[in-house]
Amino acid sequence: MIVAICKRIFIVAMFVILSAPLFIVAGVSLNAKKLMFFPPRGLSLKWYPEVFEKTVWLDALTTSLTIAIFGAALAVSIALPTSYFLWRYRVTYAKVLFGLGLVPFSLPPVITALGMLIFWSQWIGYAGRIENIVIAHGVFLVTLPMVMISLGLESIDRELLEAAETMGAGRRKVFSTIILPMVVPYMFAGYAFVFVVSMNEYIISFFLGQSATITLPVQILASLRSGYSPVTASVAVMFILLAVVVFSLVARFSDLPKLLGAWSPKE
Amino acid sequence: MTVAGTIVSDDAAQRRGLIQRVFVGGIVDPLRRYPLGLYPTIMLGVFFFVPFLIMIDISFWHRVESRTYERAFELTHYARFFSPLFTAHLWVSIEFSALSSAFCLVVAVPFTFFLSRFRRKPQVVALVFVLCVLSLSEVIIAYSWSVLLSRVAGIPKLLFDIGLLDSPDSWFPGFWAVLCGLTYFNVPLAILVLYPQSTRLDRELTEAAQTLGASPLITFWTVVIPLLWKAILACFILLFVFTMGAFVTPLWLGEPENTMYAQLIANQMLSRNNAPFAAALGVFLVIVTLALVAITFWLGKERSAVAGGRR
Repeated sequence: MIVAICKRIFIVAMFVILSAPLFIVAGVSLNAKKLMFFPPRGLSLKWYPEVFEKTVWLDALTTSLTIAIFGAALAVSIALPTSYFLWRYRVTYAKVLFGLGLVPFSLPPVITALGMLIFWSQWIGYAGRIENIVIAHGVFLVTLPMVMISLGLESIDRELLEAAETMGAGRRKVFSTIILPMVVPYMFAGYAFVFVVSMNEYIISFFLGQSATITLPVQILASLRSGYSPVTASVAVMFILLAVVVFSLVARFSDLPKLLGAWSPKE
Repeated sequence: MTVAGTIVSDDAAQRRGLIQRVFVGGIVDPLRRYPLGLYPTIMLGVFFFVPFLIMIDISFWHRVESRTYERAFELTHYARFFSPLFTAHLWVSIEFSALSSAFCLVVAVPFTFFLSRFRRKPQVVALVFVLCVLSLSEVIIAYSWSVLLSRVAGIPKLLFDIGLLDSPDSWFPGFWAVLCGLTYFNVPLAILVLYPQSTRLDRELTEAAQTLGASPLITFWTVVIPLLWKAILACFILLFVFTMGAFVTPLWLGEPENTMYAQLIANQMLSRNNAPFAAALGVFLVIVTLALVAITFWLGKERSAVAGGRR
């Protein structure tokens, strides 16, 4: 009995501690004066519109969104052929390619940041551009859609493919009528994950941006260092809400436990 | 003379032949056979593998002055590594990574176990919550911990108001503030890494232990932990690697003496314009990380072999 109560308390405590930052940031964003107090003194929502009025924040927001939209698309576009290749042929070349896709994400991001910065600034001489960050995010986060699309491919019944082929469907037809529809939900989930992680990523954007391209997290830290305004907290709150919306959608339209590797007894 | 000449040219021709064979056999032929792999190979090759090779190359270059380097092969940058300043910061990083990963597992292992036993609906909601926490920017986490530990608004003030503390002192910046931030940062990742294995735990085993009279605590300690320990070890290594790359947390919550490895790299690359030394630091971090990841893979193989045998 006591153990059951302790367990309950532990679970609740974990949820409270994990959500503490959300409450603090939300609380601070409501301060009426330009000071950081928690709990807030005098409630006001006036800092939220300011995010869309000041060019610093608006620029950072557009930059971050652009990077996330195109970076996630790039990651999925690399991940789909890689996963499909390995699933279809199982040759060494495909395994090596898949392994190469796993490496960036298993290294600390500072390595990708450093490698890409040296590549662009020392070799190409084309630093500080938004394209650099798009490509870096696409390559660094390719692991996420790759693993998810592989999960989707594994769930396809190979007998179904054989049946389609014996009935005369060409390789292209099999891909577009059987494989792609089965994999599309996983592609969307992978896209969503990369999108959210890319929006929140700091160090790669910081290295490659070179103070010329500034993303939201970089701008948040810069404005925290140069003095404080509740606008910063408002931006953070909008960020968190974005993540909530995206992941809720993923959970709504696909099997989230399965996506995260859970094993369900039904299968 | 002529004999020696032919031998040398033979040698060179042989070498050229070997390179050609490796290139054609290793890259051109597979690509011709599987055009599907062309696009991913180009993208990952050009934007990950090539930068990586350039990084290794530059780590041997000679630094003439700020921003000016010369192609060379010198080990000076690696030698600098053994200076006490850098070993001290390397040690700080290792200490933070090990401690925060260990603390994180202490709470994440039981939590993940309980989470995997939730009914489906609450489980999905909890997973969405964990994913949201995971995706929180390091910037937001570090900032909110600085508020939580501050004198005016955080826990110290709360404890002072209750009467548990004599004076409301700020708990940041410092060692413990960084450790709190890093541990928090690691918890959602640990939950997601341990989750698949937790869901695969056989319910009958824990139920059997409890029917035989073991208390839930003893069951957890003697049944769940031994079944999960390899996953836990693999998770520890993953968290360790992840934390070695922490940048914003020690920057915002720590004092100068809490400087971690990623900050050293950023400092050399961005502030001091010493790309070769930054590259050398990066290469070292890659070697350590890959060694640790290799151990994790090996553990994973053992684990799946055991699971396969049981089925």
